[in-house]
Amino acid sequence: MEFTLSEEQEMLRTMARDFLENECPKTHVREMMEDEVGFSRELWKKMADVGWLGLVFPEEYGGSGMNFRDLTILCEEMGRAVLPGPFLQTVLLVGMPILTAGTEEQKKEYLPKIASGDMVCTLAVLEEDGDFWPDGIQLKAIQRGNDYIINGTKLFVNNARGVDYILVAARTKRAVEPGDGITLFLVDMTEWGTYVSPLATMDQTRQQFEVMFNQVAVPSSNIIGELHKGWPVLKEAALKATAALCAEMVGGGEWVLETTVNYAKERIAFGVPIGSFQVIKHKCADMFSGLEYSRSLMEWAAESIKDDDRDAAMAVSMAKSYCGDTYKMVCDHGVQIHGGIGFTWDHDMHLYFKRARSSDTAFGDAFYHRELLAKAADQ
Amino acid sequence: MTSDNLEALRREVRDWLRANLPKGWGTPEYVPPTRYSRESHELGKEWTKKMYDAGYTGFNYPKEYGGIERPREEITVIHEEMARTGTPGGPLSLGLLVAAPAILVHGEEWQKKRFIPKILSGEESWCEGFSEPDAGSDLANVQTTAVRDGDDWIVNGQKVWTSMWEFADWGLLVAKTEPDAPRHRNLSYFLFDTTTPGFSRRPLRQMSGEAEFGEMFFDDMRVPHKNMMDEQGRGWYVAMTALMAERSFGGTGFTGGMAAMGGLGTSDLLGTNSLVELAKNTRRYGQSVWEESAFRQRIMQTAIEMEAMRWSGARLAAKMRKGGQIGNEASLLKNFQAEMRQRRGDLTCEILGAYSQMVRGSTRAIDEGDHVYNMLRARGATIEMGTSEINRNIIAERILGLPR
Ligand SMILES: Cc1cc2nc3c(=O)[nH]c(=O)nc-3n(C[C@H](O)[C@H](O)[C@H](O)COP(=O)(O)OP(=O)(O)OC[C@H]3O[C@@H](n4cnc5c(N)ncnc54)[C@H](O)[C@@H]3O)c2cc1C
Ligand SMILES: Cc1cc2nc3c(=O)[nH]c(=O)nc-3n(C[C@H](O)[C@H](O)[C@H](O)COP(=O)(O)OP(=O)(O)OC[C@H]3O[C@@H](n4cnc5c(N)ncnc54)[C@H](O)[C@@H]3O)c2cc1C
Repeated sequence: MEFTLSEEQEMLRTMARDFLENECPKTHVREMMEDEVGFSRELWKKMADVGWLGLVFPEEYGGSGMNFRDLTILCEEMGRAVLPGPFLQTVLLVGMPILTAGTEEQKKEYLPKIASGDMVCTLAVLEEDGDFWPDGIQLKAIQRGNDYIINGTKLFVNNARGVDYILVAARTKRAVEPGDGITLFLVDMTEWGTYVSPLATMDQTRQQFEVMFNQVAVPSSNIIGELHKGWPVLKEAALKATAALCAEMVGGGEWVLETTVNYAKERIAFGVPIGSFQVIKHKCADMFSGLEYSRSLMEWAAESIKDDDRDAAMAVSMAKSYCGDTYKMVCDHGVQIHGGIGFTWDHDMHLYFKRARSSDTAFGDAFYHRELLAKAADQ
Repeated sequence: MTSDNLEALRREVRDWLRANLPKGWGTPEYVPPTRYSRESHELGKEWTKKMYDAGYTGFNYPKEYGGIERPREEITVIHEEMARTGTPGGPLSLGLLVAAPAILVHGEEWQKKRFIPKILSGEESWCEGFSEPDAGSDLANVQTTAVRDGDDWIVNGQKVWTSMWEFADWGLLVAKTEPDAPRHRNLSYFLFDTTTPGFSRRPLRQMSGEAEFGEMFFDDMRVPHKNMMDEQGRGWYVAMTALMAERSFGGTGFTGGMAAMGGLGTSDLLGTNSLVELAKNTRRYGQSVWEESAFRQRIMQTAIEMEAMRWSGARLAAKMRKGGQIGNEASLLKNFQAEMRQRRGDLTCEILGAYSQMVRGSTRAIDEGDHVYNMLRARGATIEMGTSEINRNIIAERILGLPR
């Protein structure tokens, strides 16, 4: 593990930051918060044109064959820009399962379309209990001829409006082990019987939806991976998405720190900059420290995934829980140090504050990941 | 470096450890000496010399100053093998932590050649005389004076809180040489022999019971002019290098970074596995502590923080390999490790419940009372090497650029 960026990686970061500063300023984010779809297909296409959507796919499927650490550099920048849109979902939660578990035809058909920006996807796993685990998956798919008929409701589906496909985790078999008997279906959103309605949630930069499936027929050729064996595929994809989310959180946290430190240098109270008060300094120091240690864990997790290290799952759980806790703390201080202005809708601080909260709950919160680690130590 | 060669080295280190570790090491029969004792110091000296002679310590210094130059892969193998068995610590000395790094940067050629090799081999021990009764955080307020007399300087004054005072053959000393010069430019830095007439020292007992630190008195003590390090009046800057080295090595040291720097002891008592084992083996209110969610969460939080420290150390090492230097981030490492040591110490004692009160000497003490010792000793961790408050000021002002 190298822990320093190569020249190409530094360039990728600079390019990504410039691109997002131009294409995704806060005015764009706020526009999307009010938008029914919640992200821009136009911007999506531009992201595809600069090669982001196919970054980690092999060249034979229209990608550029770069590695996972490269991808997380983009994610850091996306977190910094609070970019709206299902990037992690499309590339890691749908694209990756197709790449690792899909048939050759599926890979040839879908991956180039994802890379070119013509196929936007999201993932539907969570249901009523709101937890990311196999036990929560109750939605059923029943075989009828060559099709499977899906019935049920998924919750907390990111950007379900405006995507072309949803990868749905459905129960296809009753099993003793909850992880057994789950199958992944790639559902075409133009299919009859899918009803998407918005969930009014706190973090509008990443809109979430309720998706109801009423007698939706999905051809068995749209099963990704083996029948009944979808959970392990999903788990592996979620591991990558979780690490990428950590990168987003670190990137977002760094924006909050920089913005807050700048404000503390400029805001005058009692005739001096508030940054000269020691309580403010020490809060800023704690924000910085938390982010540095978050970065260490995040980079370790990203490098472990890149290298297929056997500690990858542990690294990701550690990173997720630490980055989640830290991002929240950093935003707490960010709002507080801004005083009254930090509490307003107009100031951008709350976009990050809410992202921190929604990111913490995604793919298991800090508490859940610490318990996962403890379970690994049970043996 | 082929993997065959590395495997051969691994076997060599393994055999060497088997032949050289103290008798009974790793078995319940082995009773380590009290942490802060002459016995522990002598064991550390002897052990370091053996390792040095075998080429297993003394890395990261140039050959001409006694350094052992080896490829990085070999050093990793050596450290991995040492970590597997655990080893005794080094001598009770601030030589590796403070003196050698400061001499390497600021010393004259003869000073580097004379002093660094004997630090690496463990033969000579050092202490650091910075703090005084009225100069702690405000180090620039040093009142100890040194007055030039021919080829010598005559030193008068007092130092306090001097760690490893008892066993030091040599001392680092900051004294005022220009009483009229402005702050930060009035101090000079000396290397002094602790057998010099006019020098005396005595213990100060810490809340953890032992006298790891003490006080030093200078009564017309003569130090040859050639033992001044760097230029006259630049003592403050030398002290800052020493402190930064101390903070960063101390900051990574807790998880073996210190071992990486030179072969200080590693002990699994500090590892996560042993914390989990302790919780599993401790029964409270009829069940294993490990069953309790609140404890599981905190133990795993500790594990996460240990890894965060380890990988931050790795990031810093990567930066240094690329030619970077340790700067103010030393304050970051130092605070994190000190504060997590306190959390960890508290957690361990809370796991043990009533038994956490038993100190070394009680037959009922768990692990020789080491856990309660660690918890108590950790209170000093946020004070020594710059208090947590001072280090936060450094992060805020020098890294983040907030106004003074
Ligand atoms: C929900 C809400 C309702 C409000 N309602 C009213 C109302 O009805 N009427 C009204 O008049 N006002 C109201 N306020 C305004 C409120 O009183 C101010 O926001 C508050 O006094 C802080 O002032 P400020 O926003 O200018 O922040 P600043 O004074 O600029 O403070 C910014 C940061 O610097 C810190 N700081 C400032 N000085 C020091 C110091 N000496 N030492 C250490 N830290 C310092 C602050 O703690 C804060 O973290 C309301 C504010 C909120 C959030
Ligand atoms: C275990 C241990 C080992 C030590 N070993 C050595 C050694 O080997 N050699 C050596 O020279 N010294 C050593 N010291 C001394 C140590 O460096 C000092 O104790 C430390 O620098 C603090 O100085 P002080 O004790 O005078 O406290 P003070 O400086 O008086 O500080 C008292 C309190 O005020 C706070 N404070 C002071 N200034 C500020 C400020 N500007 N902003 C905010 N808060 C402030 C401090 O953080 C602290 O909480 C050791 C100390 C300990 C505990």
